[in-house]
Amino acid sequence: MELLTASAIGLLFAIGIFQMLRRNIIRSVIGLIILANAVNLFLLATGATTGMEPAYSDLPGTHSDALPQALVLTAIVISMGGTAFILSMLYIISSRYKTSDMDEVDGLKH
Amino acid sequence: MNISDQLVIMPIVIPLTGAMMALILRRRLRIQAGFALVIMVFSLAISALLLFDVWQTGQPLVFVSGGWPAPFGITLVGDLLSLLFVMMTQLVIVTGIIYAMGSKDTVVRYPTFYPLFLTLVTGLSGAFLTGDLFNMYVFAELLVISGTVLTAISDDRYGTEAAYKYFYISLMASFFMLFAVGSLYASYGTLNMADLAARIAADSDKALLWPAIAFLMATFMVKSAVFPFHFWQPDFHAAAPTAVSAMLSSVVVKLGVYGFLRMTTLLFVDQAPTIRGILLILGIIGIIFGGLSAIGTHNVKRMLAYSTLAQIGFILVGVGWGTPLAIMAALVFAFNHSLIKAAMLMLAGYVASRAAVKSAAFNIVTGVGRATPGAGVLFFVGALALAGLPPTNGFISKLLLFDSGIDAARFVSLLIIGVASILTMIYAIGAFQRIWWQKPDEEGTIKPIGDRLIAPALLIGLILVLGIWANPLVQLAKDTSAWLGDPTAYIQAVLGG
Repeated sequence: MELLTASAIGLLFAIGIFQMLRRNIIRSVIGLIILANAVNLFLLATGATTGMEPAYSDLPGTHSDALPQALVLTAIVISMGGTAFILSMLYIISSRYKTSDMDEVDGLKH
Repeated sequence: MNISDQLVIMPIVIPLTGAMMALILRRRLRIQAGFALVIMVFSLAISALLLFDVWQTGQPLVFVSGGWPAPFGITLVGDLLSLLFVMMTQLVIVTGIIYAMGSKDTVVRYPTFYPLFLTLVTGLSGAFLTGDLFNMYVFAELLVISGTVLTAISDDRYGTEAAYKYFYISLMASFFMLFAVGSLYASYGTLNMADLAARIAADSDKALLWPAIAFLMATFMVKSAVFPFHFWQPDFHAAAPTAVSAMLSSVVVKLGVYGFLRMTTLLFVDQAPTIRGILLILGIIGIIFGGLSAIGTHNVKRMLAYSTLAQIGFILVGVGWGTPLAIMAALVFAFNHSLIKAAMLMLAGYVASRAAVKSAAFNIVTGVGRATPGAGVLFFVGALALAGLPPTNGFISKLLLFDSGIDAARFVSLLIIGVASILTMIYAIGAFQRIWWQKPDEEGTIKPIGDRLIAPALLIGLILVLGIWANPLVQLAKDTSAWLGDPTAYIQAVLGG
């Protein structure tokens, strides 16, 4: 299970970085979103392997670590907000230049 | 716990509450601006008081949020370094709000302009004051989002593109930081900076330690626009509204400097020599690259943005040398650079507001200054300060930096930065000469009124005061550097016992 989780996270990282390096401006944002999920999964994995019982309960057995879950919850919310914002900026840019090719979005070069 | 310990949360709470209350005033723009200014002056007074208190007692203020004791809850730690940076930030932000109040840009009439300004300072103060790595990520994110929105609504028609570029790379940086946080948590089981420092010092053989260091460094390099991650910075700082770009290029970039100081003096003390070596090389590259790019550019604001690259390089060289004297010099340099760069960018924005077309490009602003000799005097003093000539505070910071370099016997790097600092003089004086001395390329009309000059005049006044009466700041930086030299005191103050 651990190997499966690790390779899944690694695969997400690889896909995310590959898409980020594409010239298509929309693909590069999709790559960023995939990378965000990869990082969130990585963060969750730091505490996922310790104990199966929910924290603050009276159940016997090892309690799971609640902190990574709290961290990843915060990180998901922030990355969701960031994604929404970057997509809205992308919409403005792509409707101004009418292209998705990064080389043609060149207003700043002048 | 006494009253003072609780007060350390005030530099975060006051601007945040102010931002929310300013939103209520969104239909009364003049009242909103005045309100934001009052809030920031109040917050500045509190943080100066806290800094003075900590300086007198020598003990940091530790606020335990929610009553959870140190390694479990989030602590806010106001030590000399944090409070010095908070005070510097809020001082510059106050002048930024004053500039925005007298600005002719349409962006300052945007209903959420001042609330975003206040959340910007909330994020920055919070990132400086927090004693928890994940909390720092949250505050840094607040800072990034406020800064991006402020640029995206800029009068400059490429504001959105520049903001997009910045936001994209900043999101990357925050993923780097999350990765570092995850690695450190997996290895050491804590995120409290004091606890983390103690545990890393006790056991530094964890496999994920070096990846965490590398990712944290990359994060702070993006925040400070250090050489390989600098490419977004000139676009972003040139496209932002003047009042905002003066803040971004002066205090916001200091977050990375703060991060590097914390990394080398608290978190990774045993690994610090390697980190310092990298910072030294990157700093020198930044100085040369930034200086040459600033000479070759065609826009005053862009030139000043590249100049920030070079000046951050000087600070990193100080951090990279790492002796107590060099850290002291870096702190003084960081403080002085904030004042100088904010003043210079405001003056550049003022010149652009007087030009026929609102732009800071050299071919448009050439000769515009001939109508405003007063601004010319201010710009000239600022240029002297940037180049490090007396009687300005820039001279004090360069003097201290070179002195610490001689003391540390780092003659090769000293020679390189000494030669490279001539570049500063070339571009700063060159810009002055083009705007205030040369005849305009073509007969354009100069607008009779532009932005108000109160804010840059205040900053230039401070630059001269700190150039002539430098002792208090130098003494403060010296005490801060001595405090940073002893991480166990920090750990003890936070964890107790």
